[in-house]
Amino acid sequence: MGDTPISSDLIRGHIDTIVLGLLSTQDRYGYDLCKQVAVLSDGQYELKEPTLYSAFRRMEPAGLITSYWGEGSQGARRKYYAITAEGKAAYLRNLEDWKRARTMIDRLVSGEGEKE
Amino acid sequence: MEAIQYYVKGAFQGVAETPEVLEQQEELIADLTAKVADLVADGKSEDEALGVAIASVGDLSGLVAEFAPAAAPAAGAMPVPVPTANVQAARLDFHVLLVALGLDAAFMIFCTVLGALTGTIDQGAGFVLMLLLVSAGWWIRMAYVKYQADPATVETRELVYRPRMEKALGLWAAVCFAALVMNTVSGTDFWFWPIWVGATVMPIRVLVERWMTTRGMFASKAVAPEGVAAAVAAE
Repeated sequence: MGDTPISSDLIRGHIDTIVLGLLSTQDRYGYDLCKQVAVLSDGQYELKEPTLYSAFRRMEPAGLITSYWGEGSQGARRKYYAITAEGKAAYLRNLEDWKRARTMIDRLVSGEGEKE
Repeated sequence: MEAIQYYVKGAFQGVAETPEVLEQQEELIADLTAKVADLVADGKSEDEALGVAIASVGDLSGLVAEFAPAAAPAAGAMPVPVPTANVQAARLDFHVLLVALGLDAAFMIFCTVLGALTGTIDQGAGFVLMLLLVSAGWWIRMAYVKYQADPATVETRELVYRPRMEKALGLWAAVCFAALVMNTVSGTDFWFWPIWVGATVMPIRVLVERWMTTRGMFASKAVAPEGVAAAVAAE
């Protein structure tokens, strides 16, 4: 984790939203999600499999995603994840929250006081 | 890619082998295998790719800890062991066998009584055989439809039960062969009955199993609430 340019603490709280966002376009399996995250972040953030599985194990019982075993390459099967209607609603909610928080945090961390 | 399997199995050492754990292991193995294949396609050697993939997955202990049975119980209290997948399969097998044998015996008695009452047991044999074939065909079709509707349930069961199923089929084949030999030796067709029993036990066995699993009996969640509670609490 030390060699990832962006502190993973900054991203940790948004893993669920990131996964839900990627699943909202199509069903994906674990490694596929890791690859997408690497591509979208230009290699600046590496989503680790254990982190991802923990997110799955949190969101599946909560009804945000479902999983099924499908065909992989070379005959091996792999586990795919799909977003549910509930998951889509949660994703949109999280996205709104993030957009509001982003502007606010920008102002907070810039340290510009006495705004009048 | 046996090295990946050893690595994953090793990481999960000491964790009770519930169906849930087996699925997590299989998922991790599949993802690692895909990653290694990608790296090899990028020109890395197999060993190099394996090292990179395993390093990039990082520490597995946090994930593994989510599956560990509940923490040591208070002094004096007996620990409640989490049944492994094999124990669950054995329990399920036992119950399924009992129910299937009972249903089968009832069916045979019913047929005998029906034959005795109508006096058609010989003349109707071909008809009964045709009925059996039609229902077997129908059952296979229904099983396929159900598999299409919900592959996850079927596949998960297969993961745990396939070796047991293979063993059972082997045993059945052996019994059939022995029956055939007995028929030839004794010059009768009395020993034909194990084949009928076997042929009808198989679909009944699977139907009963499906009924039991859909009702949540012997499911990992039903017998290992500690692991599930821990997973939810870890949120």
